[in-house]
Amino acid sequence: MSAKPAQSPLVTLALAGAGLIGALVTLYLSYFYTPVQVSRGTLWVVTPDGGNTINLYESYRIFFVHLPAAYATAVCSTLAAIGGAAWLLTRKEQWQAIIVSCCEVGLAVGAIVLLTGTFWADYAWGSGRIGSGWNWEPRLTTMLILWFAFAALLVLRRAIDGEKAREMMTAVYGILIGPLYPLVSKAVEIGQTSHPRNFSDLLSAPEIATTKHAATVGIMLALASLIALRYCWNRLGQRIAQERAA
Amino acid sequence: MSDTARPASLPAFAALLGREFRVELRTKSLITSMGLFAALCVVIFGLGVKGLMLDDTFRRFVLAALWVCSWFAAVVGLNRAASADRNKGFFSALMLIPHDPALVYAVRLVAAMLWLVLTQALMIVLAVPMLRFDFFDQPLMLGVLVMSDLGVLAPGVLLASATGRARGGEALLTIALLPVTVPVFLGATGATEAMHTGTGSAEAMPFVLLLAVCDAMFLAIGLLLFGKLNEG
Repeated sequence: MSAKPAQSPLVTLALAGAGLIGALVTLYLSYFYTPVQVSRGTLWVVTPDGGNTINLYESYRIFFVHLPAAYATAVCSTLAAIGGAAWLLTRKEQWQAIIVSCCEVGLAVGAIVLLTGTFWADYAWGSGRIGSGWNWEPRLTTMLILWFAFAALLVLRRAIDGEKAREMMTAVYGILIGPLYPLVSKAVEIGQTSHPRNFSDLLSAPEIATTKHAATVGIMLALASLIALRYCWNRLGQRIAQERAA
Repeated sequence: MSDTARPASLPAFAALLGREFRVELRTKSLITSMGLFAALCVVIFGLGVKGLMLDDTFRRFVLAALWVCSWFAAVVGLNRAASADRNKGFFSALMLIPHDPALVYAVRLVAAMLWLVLTQALMIVLAVPMLRFDFFDQPLMLGVLVMSDLGVLAPGVLLASATGRARGGEALLTIALLPVTVPVFLGATGATEAMHTGTGSAEAMPFVLLLAVCDAMFLAIGLLLFGKLNEG
């Protein structure tokens, strides 16, 4: 058994600090740097398929958390699939810890995407009443399913007793989760959608583009710190299990 | 796959498939549980919608309800097969055969597809009078049906082989399988709706393409990983 630590706590702490600073910068930019009033002709005035134009006014500020959190969910599902394939090829237990960490963090960031999206949709697509924006739109629904898939992997792991069978199931299910994010991404092309198909209009405004890029960097740093934290935790769990078995 | 494992061959495939059919014909456990479940679902849905008007909304509801019944009938069948494997030790014995485990996966998949298609045939026969369902005006639906069944059962047979050994495996299979097969459900309901709302088969093509991609991907994953998932 290896005695060296799974990962330097300093790296995790540095990532956590950077992530916190990134989140604060994102909040500051989205409230104080981006324009207060919006006008027609820009993306935050959106037109859903077959619907009337909606002016999002102040509600568009949710975008700076919602979109980077969706990118973070994509990273989690992709890393889970890569981890699954890598474990099958190498059988190194580090990959198991990565798959589990990605699913745990994927649950958290996926919840942020769903909650911010739902609150925004209540205003933009619904009547303003809580729950009125949930319209079974393809991207919304597929994101919810991806969230359930992260949860399913964690439930499956707890239910399988043998270590070998558990690790194998984790790797295989991690691979199966992989293709779900491309589906979320392409969902706007499958059926009638309320989501905008691209953000080119929005990003033509320099303040919006700068804030969006800063928010993406900030949330990715926060994501990396969360994955690193959960990775350390899971590696510690693996070590304790090995000590008990020895 | 052990070092001495031989590659899959047609006679071995036929022999194993014949064994699956003989076991089912003797016990009739899968087809009765899946068939009864599907029939009950159709009857209960029929009771719930008996007073509704026969309009587009009604048709869309019936289509979605039939796909949901079909999905859960597949899960009932997979769970029943896994339960028999666990209790009678069938699966451990099958994994000892000197062939690539992908052969066992392929046999299981073909047999499960046949039972599901038979169950769906029963559902459609019941749904035509009970849910006022027009199936026979769209022969292309048969293709969609087979592609959807493959898309659900390819990961289903793979996951059932592992959840069958777990605590509370029957609930686990549902939890594990449904999120993964949602793309198939989207494809199946989308293609069915496009065909039955008169927009034509061209409108259904993106959904059929989605089903084809899912089928190819899940089949490849199943054939590659079935042996690994059940090794040892």
